[in-house]
Amino acid sequence: MIQYVALAAAFALSALVGGVDNAFAQAAFVGTLALAGLGLVLIVGLSGQLSLGHGAMMGLGAYAQAGLVGMGIDGLPALAAAATVGALGGLVASIPGRRLGDLGFAMSTLALALVVEEGLLRLAPLTGGAAGLVVPPLTVAGWRLASPVAQAVASLTLLGAALWLVGRLRNSRLGRAWRAGRDDEVAAAAVGIDVRHARLLAFVCGGALAGLAGGLHAHWLGFLSPEQFGLPLSFELLVLVFVGGVRSLSGALWGSIVIVSLPQAIAMLRQALPGFELGAAGLELVAFGLIVVALVIWRPGGLRPEGR
Amino acid sequence: MFAQVVVGGVAAGCVYGLVALSFVLIYKATRSVSFMQGELLMLGAFTAVVLVEALGWPAWVAAVAAVAASFAFGLVLERAVLWRAIGQPHLTPVLLTFGLGLVIRGAVTSVPEATHRMHRLPLPWSRPLTVGPVQFAPEHLMVILATCTACAVLALFFRHSRTGLALRACSEDSGVAAMLGVSPAAMHALAWALGAALAAFAGVLLAPVTFVEPGMGMVALKAFPAAVIGGLASLPGALLGGLFIGLSEALAGRFLPDGVKDLTAYGLMLAVLLLFPRGIGEIGRRQ
Repeated sequence: MIQYVALAAAFALSALVGGVDNAFAQAAFVGTLALAGLGLVLIVGLSGQLSLGHGAMMGLGAYAQAGLVGMGIDGLPALAAAATVGALGGLVASIPGRRLGDLGFAMSTLALALVVEEGLLRLAPLTGGAAGLVVPPLTVAGWRLASPVAQAVASLTLLGAALWLVGRLRNSRLGRAWRAGRDDEVAAAAVGIDVRHARLLAFVCGGALAGLAGGLHAHWLGFLSPEQFGLPLSFELLVLVFVGGVRSLSGALWGSIVIVSLPQAIAMLRQALPGFELGAAGLELVAFGLIVVALVIWRPGGLRPEGR
Repeated sequence: MFAQVVVGGVAAGCVYGLVALSFVLIYKATRSVSFMQGELLMLGAFTAVVLVEALGWPAWVAAVAAVAASFAFGLVLERAVLWRAIGQPHLTPVLLTFGLGLVIRGAVTSVPEATHRMHRLPLPWSRPLTVGPVQFAPEHLMVILATCTACAVLALFFRHSRTGLALRACSEDSGVAAMLGVSPAAMHALAWALGAALAAFAGVLLAPVTFVEPGMGMVALKAFPAAVIGGLASLPGALLGGLFIGLSEALAGRFLPDGVKDLTAYGLMLAVLLLFPRGIGEIGRRQ
């Protein structure tokens, strides 16, 4: 109950500060980032591996969506394709890492993320390169989702569906294999679980969710450029997952609200303080960094106490 | 021409290798992945520039002072924040160092003098070395010479000093090392401090080659491919991996089409992870 009150309060605060339309637009972003964060919860929280390239998976989905919609394909099949591209990205990112335990996945996802960012910049004829790419509003079966309300509804509906699906997945045979491999790799292997295969599938499922999120995100942004999907986004998603509690599925939503509102809160705070015109961008970085460090030190289990 | 490309590549590789060395040193001793080595590199370069431009110190004194200051800074960070990462999953140090890196980069960016003007560290001597028809840039030779010296000092430290041996013992097995009288907490702090000093050293070496600016830490991303090629757990391997990356990039930039150069390092990293997950050193050991 208290959670719904908190959600309503966050929305009301956002509407009060920036107007109702802005609040719905923010809600749409919260939905897509939470969707991508949910994919990262699968990888980090459930299967216990580190991914440093989740932002790039989102980028793959976003550019796939923009390309397909640009070719005149309807929004829904394009979204399915974006999710597939994200899943393929997860597969490719995890294959080189699987033989080297421990840091292997972190390194291979990092390498793929850097390759994807450079690749998006270099393939200028397809992606617009550094100049960027304009994305039209999402159109589903002839129905244009141009207003912030429609975007927020679409975003949060898909998030709800994904939360339900991942909840089922967590308690399935595969989900139990992930958790067993995370808690004790040797014991899991001893009872016949193919831990490597399960981890590969975690990256595929996580990548699919990131691709889907990226596809929607592309429409909400309306404009894509490669540096939006670089390493900073991957780290923001890791912070998002950490804030919500790495093993908590609904934590992705809470973390997403924090990640979307924190930079705006910092910017507002700075404007309220007089005499901080010089080097303002730098001070915002300092504030964000300090908050990340403080959260990791004082709330190692995330903002909510021991999420389910 | 070819010789100049090779020397330039080796010089760049030395910087990659030094950052990779700092990364592997920290990873082996603390099991932590540090994502702030680039920021420490940038901070070291800025410290040297400030000492030279504002206080008028000679460049080499400023360089030594900047490395020493970075060592102390690493020690302070470890005592204040990073010790909490001991025994935690990888995500904890990754986020801690990411946050600290943001703080460092943001703090430097918010100093107007740092962003409004291009800075460069002057070299003590600036005559190019001429061998027959080819000229070698003095800053490249300086980087290579300084890296060789630093490696010799590090090798002596790790092989013959009690502290260096204790640090290595602690990296291999902290439990056994503790029973033999080594303090794991002190070694944890020492590893972070040495890592910070090495990153600053790389930054000081880079300062006469490229402009000193808040974004120069991006060069540290090349340290990950270097460390992976060296097998992630070997100090000499990290350095050789850096040289390999630097040379490959220089040759790719010279002989391959535009744009391939920027992908070389990460492409090599993926290939090595796929084919030789324990590093290129594996090739020799396989027979």
